[in-house]
Amino acid sequence: MLFYSFFKSLIGKEVVVELKNDLAICGTLHSVDQYLNVKLTDINVTDPDKYPHMLSVKNCFIRGSVIRYVQLPADEVDTQLLQDAARKESVHSRQ
Amino acid sequence: MGSALESYVNRVVSIITADGRNFVGTLKGFDQTINIILDESQERVYNPNQGVEQITLGLHIIRGDNIAVIGELDEEVDARLDFSAIKAEALNPIIH
Amino acid sequence: MADESDQQIGDVQLKEPLDLLLLSLDEIVTVKMRNERELRGKLHAYDQHLNLVLGDVEETVTVIEIDDETYEEIYKTTRRNIPMLYVRGDGVTLIAPPSKMPQ
Repeated sequence: MLFYSFFKSLIGKEVVVELKNDLAICGTLHSVDQYLNVKLTDINVTDPDKYPHMLSVKNCFIRGSVIRYVQLPADEVDTQLLQDAARKESVHSRQ
Repeated sequence: MGSALESYVNRVVSIITADGRNFVGTLKGFDQTINIILDESQERVYNPNQGVEQITLGLHIIRGDNIAVIGELDEEVDARLDFSAIKAEALNPIIH
Repeated sequence: MADESDQQIGDVQLKEPLDLLLLSLDEIVTVKMRNERELRGKLHAYDQHLNLVLGDVEETVTVIEIDDETYEEIYKTTRRNIPMLYVRGDGVTLIAPPSKMPQ
């Protein structure tokens, strides 16, 4: 639940989702679900010359399992809050 | 969030599969495992030496496991693209 | 109290592997990934799947190319820096806590 809540807190923010096929998609985080599937709006592929496959796609749904990384806006992440949440979650998962 | 795909129903979507292929068609339905029904579908085959080849397929079901990305196509933008001039390698497969 | 087999560090008992990550929060960790990727950055969050959030990350990707003539293996590394990064746990193979961690 930690990462689900975390991503929900980033809805509306710009992220870069890097997939396990090396495609990197930049867009606004629109929604996320419990599987960490994400929906992005107003997307652009980072390298459109190499990857023209999504030129006419403006919004997309990405299956969580194909995501390698998500680059996040550092100034939108409260790292203290995040660490505290991680500590709390570790207590929960212990039981 | 199976419902995340609700807004794409009856829209033209572009699917990127785990093996790096690209299918375009009208999303007629989906389920919680992201199996989808794609009507009037075509496969777009990218090639570095020639333009994009579009193969008409018709009605297809694609299994959710094989789906990486489902994109909502802007049909106006898509209609303006000159696919005979777009040359690119096929997308890499998803490597877990 | 702790079993004799459990290590105690501060007020945290090392009962299971993930406890080592708990102790590594706010510390710089090294993460090895599938496909010759390595990350170094400050650990801000983790869960039981080894999903992570790292800050001030340096990623190193190594590709091994075989020389056409000599068949020698040539290791090529590329590096990049990412200010804040979510890492999906299924690609993680190893996480090393900072070296000053108690052994």
